Amino acid sequence: MSHSVIARAAEATPPGLARRFKGLSDRAIAWSFVAPTIFLLLAVNIFPLIWTIRLSFTNFRANRPNAEVEWIGLRNYDRILTDSDIWQTMQATAHFLCWTIVLQVLIGFSLAWLINRKFKGNDLWTTIIVLPMMLSPAVVGNFWTFLYQPQIGLFNYVVAFFTGADPTSFSMIGSVSLAPWAIIIVDTWMWTPFVMLICLAGLRSIPDSIYEAAECDRASKWRQFWTITLPMTLPFLMLAVLFRGIENFKMFDLVVQLTGGGPGNTTTLTSIDLKREAFEKWRTGYASAYAIILFVTVFGLASIYVKALNKVKER
Amino acid sequence: MAEITLSNITKRFGDTLALDDVSMTVPNGAFVVLLGPTGAGKTTTLRLVSGLDQPDAGRIEIGGTDVTRMTPAQRNVAMVFQQYSLYPHMTVRENLGFPLKSPLLRYDDAQIARKVSEVAEMLQIAHKLDNKATALSGGEMQRVSIGRALVRRPEVYLMDEPLSSLDAKLRADLRVELKNIQAQSGVPFLYVTHDQIEAMTMASHVGVLDHGRLVQFGTPREIYEDPVSVYAASRLGLPRINILPADLFAGAPTGARYIGLRPEQIRQGDGAESRVIRVEHLGDQTRLHLKFRNHDLITVTDAHSGLRSGDIVQITPDAPFYFDASGARVH
Repeated sequence: MSHSVIARAAEATPPGLARRFKGLSDRAIAWSFVAPTIFLLLAVNIFPLIWTIRLSFTNFRANRPNAEVEWIGLRNYDRILTDSDIWQTMQATAHFLCWTIVLQVLIGFSLAWLINRKFKGNDLWTTIIVLPMMLSPAVVGNFWTFLYQPQIGLFNYVVAFFTGADPTSFSMIGSVSLAPWAIIIVDTWMWTPFVMLICLAGLRSIPDSIYEAAECDRASKWRQFWTITLPMTLPFLMLAVLFRGIENFKMFDLVVQLTGGGPGNTTTLTSIDLKREAFEKWRTGYASAYAIILFVTVFGLASIYVKALNKVKER
Repeated sequence: MAEITLSNITKRFGDTLALDDVSMTVPNGAFVVLLGPTGAGKTTTLRLVSGLDQPDAGRIEIGGTDVTRMTPAQRNVAMVFQQYSLYPHMTVRENLGFPLKSPLLRYDDAQIARKVSEVAEMLQIAHKLDNKATALSGGEMQRVSIGRALVRRPEVYLMDEPLSSLDAKLRADLRVELKNIQAQSGVPFLYVTHDQIEAMTMASHVGVLDHGRLVQFGTPREIYEDPVSVYAASRLGLPRINILPADLFAGAPTGARYIGLRPEQIRQGDGAESRVIRVEHLGDQTRLHLKFRNHDLITVTDAHSGLRSGDIVQITPDAPFYFDASGARVH
């Protein structure tokens, strides 16, 4: 591919430019422009990837650089895929991913739909709604630990107010059954505005005249929603799901700050687990294999999804 | 099908008076063409009748029922939009079928398919039925837009320049088709156009709008042969009516400031001399551009005329129109 880019760049370079760089052909000039980028890509993306693949077949440990590195073939992969702890973190990640996406899409789309009505001050409301997204995940994680405090936390108080339960009777972060939901709630609180913005762009891309035509064609508001609004915003919705999916697959900061992966392993997402293996236990080879497995998973899912997205766009 | 009555309709958009006290009756089965330049209120009239906009004052009745506050769906109108407004994510077939799938109509799939293919056939887009609406040329989009209105029988058809982006042949075909539909169904048409031929050939009535006011309403012949003003006279006729100072010719009535001469109101062969500037042979007729005492005139002459530029032609007004300083007709 790089060759065709070079060829096109050479073609696009106006004649005469070469005269100023004496002795250099157009092709050489084009290469000299592209080379730094290619070098950078190779250095920071391609080389580490290949190196990681190599390490994943060894028992290398980064904290013992002088120890002898043994070539152990697929043993790392075998151990990871048969490890029930890792399957549990995978499940925790899947649970977190599915629910955050479902909630954020539902709430985000509804908010966008409401904001899209023409009313006074909707710009102000948009700004207010978007605020959580502008905060740092570390800050959000930190202050939600306070909101989740059983004794003084606002969250427990509000839940207690509506359900009548004792606010100190449950702990969102401390309980094995509630902790997975605690991180889902915070992520939804923080990132629903992002989904809303994308949906809003989708809704605003539908011209009024289409609704007017539907109005004249005697379509009810309900039918207009299902036959016009939803299909025409679907590509945007799918894009939002893609962004949120990729983001949350590598979710780290917010959850570390909130629960630190606990209680037990209940909120240990794969990225947290991976970081522990690589930089706390220093099992570099093992962690490399782990990373490659995650990479292949995300890459596979994302390419299937992007294909579906393109199909929807073509419709 | 029903009679449509607009009574004292006024509509403002901010400071602009879009329609000013317009009253008009579209008789059952009529084909009413609205004429006027951009901003005269033609599209606003259609939108008010359709129910997409609400008038600030006045009453709209369809078939004797007051529909002023009703929605477009309740009014049962079909509209062809100037900007087409097709459903971009649907195929041509789905676009055409959309109005028929309204639960108000209760058509089954076979009926819908039959009606869609009938309309597609008539509009010569049958081969494009499975195309996406966005993968069409402008003319094809416009035909789909017409088809979406014609698939059902509403109380009234509202069409906003529906033939403007079609080529001449197709335009002529569709003029006939629309006329046939109107004759067979008896559904009244309210139709906006800039095209003289469409107005003259299709209209049973013409409404002339000027800055939101309905200045004349009548048959095309009435508007053509008995215009109330320079403005109304200029709406119809090809080539356009010539407006000259009245004192150029003898015989102007008192108060007349301008004389209006349609080509057939200029008799050739006697009277004052004028010079031929340009001759345009159109086949069935020949257009003469004349210079008469420093004024330009356009008239029509025999198809086989041997006149050339530079020749001298004698002309006399023949039963011309006279208008006063404000442009109103003087008898």
